[in-house]
Amino acid sequence: MSFIRRHESQYARSLIEASLDPLVTINTKGKITDMNEALANITGMTREQLTGTDFFDYFTEPQKAREVYQIVFANSSVADSPLTLRHKEGKLTDVLFNGSVYKDNQGNVLGVVIVARDVTDQKRIATELNEAKIAAESATKVAESAKKKAEDAAKIAEDATKTAEDATKTAEDATKIAEDATKTAEDATRIAEEAVKSKQQFLSNMSHEIRTPMNAIIGFTKVLLKTDLSAKQKEYLTAIKMSGDALIVLINDILDLAKVDAGKMSFEKTPFKMAVSLSAMLHLFETKILEKNLKLVREYDKTIPPVLVGDPVRLHQIILNLVSNAVKFTTNGKITVSVNLQSEDEEKVTIRFSVTDTGIGIPETRLGTIFENFQQATSGTSRLYGGTGLGLAIVKQLVEAQNGTIRVESKVGEGSTFSFTLDFQKTNEEAASDLVIVDPDVEIKNIKVLVAEDIALNQLLMKTILDDFGFERDIADNGKIAIEKLQTTDYDIILMDLQMPEMNGFEATAYIRKTMNSNIPIIALTADVTTVDLAKCRAVGMNDYIAKPVDERVLYNKIISLVKKPVPVIENKDRVKTHGQRIKCIDMEYLARRTKSNPTLMMEMISLYLEQTPQLITAMKQGLHDKDWNCLYSAVHKMIPSFAIMGISTDFENIAKKVQEFATTQKQSEDIPELVLQLESICEQACEELEVEFNAIKNTNV
Amino acid sequence: MNNNKKIKIFLVDDDALYLKLLAIEFLEHADFEIESYATGEECLVNLSNEPDVIILDYKLDGLDKNAMNGIQTLDKIKAFNKKIPVIMLSSQDKIDVAVSCMHHKAYDYVVKSETAFLRLQKAITSIYTYKKLEKQLNWYMERM
Repeated sequence: MSFIRRHESQYARSLIEASLDPLVTINTKGKITDMNEALANITGMTREQLTGTDFFDYFTEPQKAREVYQIVFANSSVADSPLTLRHKEGKLTDVLFNGSVYKDNQGNVLGVVIVARDVTDQKRIATELNEAKIAAESATKVAESAKKKAEDAAKIAEDATKTAEDATKTAEDATKIAEDATKTAEDATRIAEEAVKSKQQFLSNMSHEIRTPMNAIIGFTKVLLKTDLSAKQKEYLTAIKMSGDALIVLINDILDLAKVDAGKMSFEKTPFKMAVSLSAMLHLFETKILEKNLKLVREYDKTIPPVLVGDPVRLHQIILNLVSNAVKFTTNGKITVSVNLQSEDEEKVTIRFSVTDTGIGIPETRLGTIFENFQQATSGTSRLYGGTGLGLAIVKQLVEAQNGTIRVESKVGEGSTFSFTLDFQKTNEEAASDLVIVDPDVEIKNIKVLVAEDIALNQLLMKTILDDFGFERDIADNGKIAIEKLQTTDYDIILMDLQMPEMNGFEATAYIRKTMNSNIPIIALTADVTTVDLAKCRAVGMNDYIAKPVDERVLYNKIISLVKKPVPVIENKDRVKTHGQRIKCIDMEYLARRTKSNPTLMMEMISLYLEQTPQLITAMKQGLHDKDWNCLYSAVHKMIPSFAIMGISTDFENIAKKVQEFATTQKQSEDIPELVLQLESICEQACEELEVEFNAIKNTNV
Repeated sequence: MNNNKKIKIFLVDDDALYLKLLAIEFLEHADFEIESYATGEECLVNLSNEPDVIILDYKLDGLDKNAMNGIQTLDKIKAFNKKIPVIMLSSQDKIDVAVSCMHHKAYDYVVKSETAFLRLQKAITSIYTYKKLEKQLNWYMERM
């Protein structure tokens, strides 16, 4: 029995020793009574050292260990209580503390058997897992924020949808590699922003590109409208022109919006007369308002200083939009435009402008969105009243860009009031002079215009318009050519396109003013008044500008007012006297017909004339002077065919025949010197004109 | 005449402008070979080029007193080969001038005017009609 017991005891012992989990028995006093090898290993102490010592001392938290131990005595056992054992050299081992009391045969508690399961690995794995989890979670978070950013970016730029999708995709990949994702997302945002920018650029460029052909379409339609047309043709052409005008308005609107969006809109600060400026602008609506049987009421606060500094063009644009809306949506009643001084201090005034109509009104629910792009009060509005829904968006942008505010009040069926306030600086300066309106009945024909313009269609259009005015014109393909022409020929005025290859309008003007010291009037031609730096135009010395599509009347007025000013009346008279009626003496029609407008042949013919005629003039004069009648006869004789070729009036042919007659008979001699002089002057004029013609042909056909 | 060859025309006039205009018109309207000369002398030097028709200005000595005039040039041409048809051209609408030209065996006399080219064209056509008739006549004569 004792053998068996000993044997059993030995067996139990070897099991205990084999366990990797520390096993220990503690007596009721807490002292270690027995242990296995694992405990010795984990604490780094020998069995001898351990035996009889306080068990709790080997834990990092002895108090907690003691509590656990007391729980064992109280509840007979404890399971999986976490504690940490300390190696004598400091190494810590996490254990799960399991214990149960053991009793003698009488049931008296002898002590506690404790198994401390080593959970270091588990714990490490758990920690790692936890960390991994946290890492994963934060990664997800970053990725999500990246994704959100990218999605925002996608929203910002509808055009950039594709880019944003890439970004979303990139962001999803970033769930795995959060840092990369963040970076990619930032890239995506940047790309999206660039996409927005490029969208605006595209819009701006496109509008510009569309305008160029539109200018030609509208311009030539105008020219065509002036020719003899049947009623039907006139009707159709008018339709083309109206559609063209509408399209230009739309393009301008888009361009304006794109510009405001891009923050490129610039505002002038020029002194102007507010009252005059506004009433001139409202004048434009008179016909329209009369047509619709409406009444236009103007209320202008007399206390507003007469001259203010601001941007009259933009102010016009704002009021124009508001009033044209008012007119559009009002079928009966009146439109009130009132301008009131709201406040005034030393430097500036705040003015409230309001436009009130008695029109259809705007539903309350729509008041909030009425200023957004492409919004009209109801989707049916555009069907009924037309329009793009860009007008108010532009108005709002224009007002806010100048630090103003805009408000709308409206009641359906009663009407709307749009009001905005803007600040204007006060000034003592005089306002820039108003456009000189010249009576169009005053015929001024002998004006020589140099047009610097690179686009062939526009060249042709300018030619047509200027021919229509009866002005002489010459075309230069760029600024450089214009300067070359200016050096050899006298012109009265230059129309200068701003954007040209080789040398642009600014450079050319600067050269003409500074290097050539010429004061010739220069009008800038620009496709796009909004971007053009008017200040720059003035700085280089341009006298004025005109926007394309060129309004013929405006162009005519500008040319006349600029040309008239610097030329004293006396000199003008002089010119008339020496050159007779200086109408163009040549007519290329015959030559064009004969050569079938072949430019090379025409140029050959003209250069032959230019070569031969001076010799003939000399011979003619010489003949008269030397009384060498044969010589006079021959020279004049040879001149005769050239009159017909160059389209010079038959009057001169008859004069030449008279001279010829005289040379053979030598009668009526007293008239002859005068007749010869007339022939000389007409031939000289023809030479001058043909030279211009020659250059014109050359320049248009190079 | 050779039908495969273009008709070769000599244009002789000291008015360079008019000369050029004529040349342009001839080249525009029909398939001619044109040689232009400013003086009678130049024209004579080049007679070896075998012109089919010569259009000659009456007044070639207008500015250059020593230049050969139209009639003199006409005589020289006829001396070289009397079969070359010469059409005289002048801005003078005078009967005695025309008659004098005819006496010197010019084929025709055309006044420089807007219709000059049309008349020249007609004259040339009639030259060829005449030549053809002559040829046919010769053909029949041989067989008679």
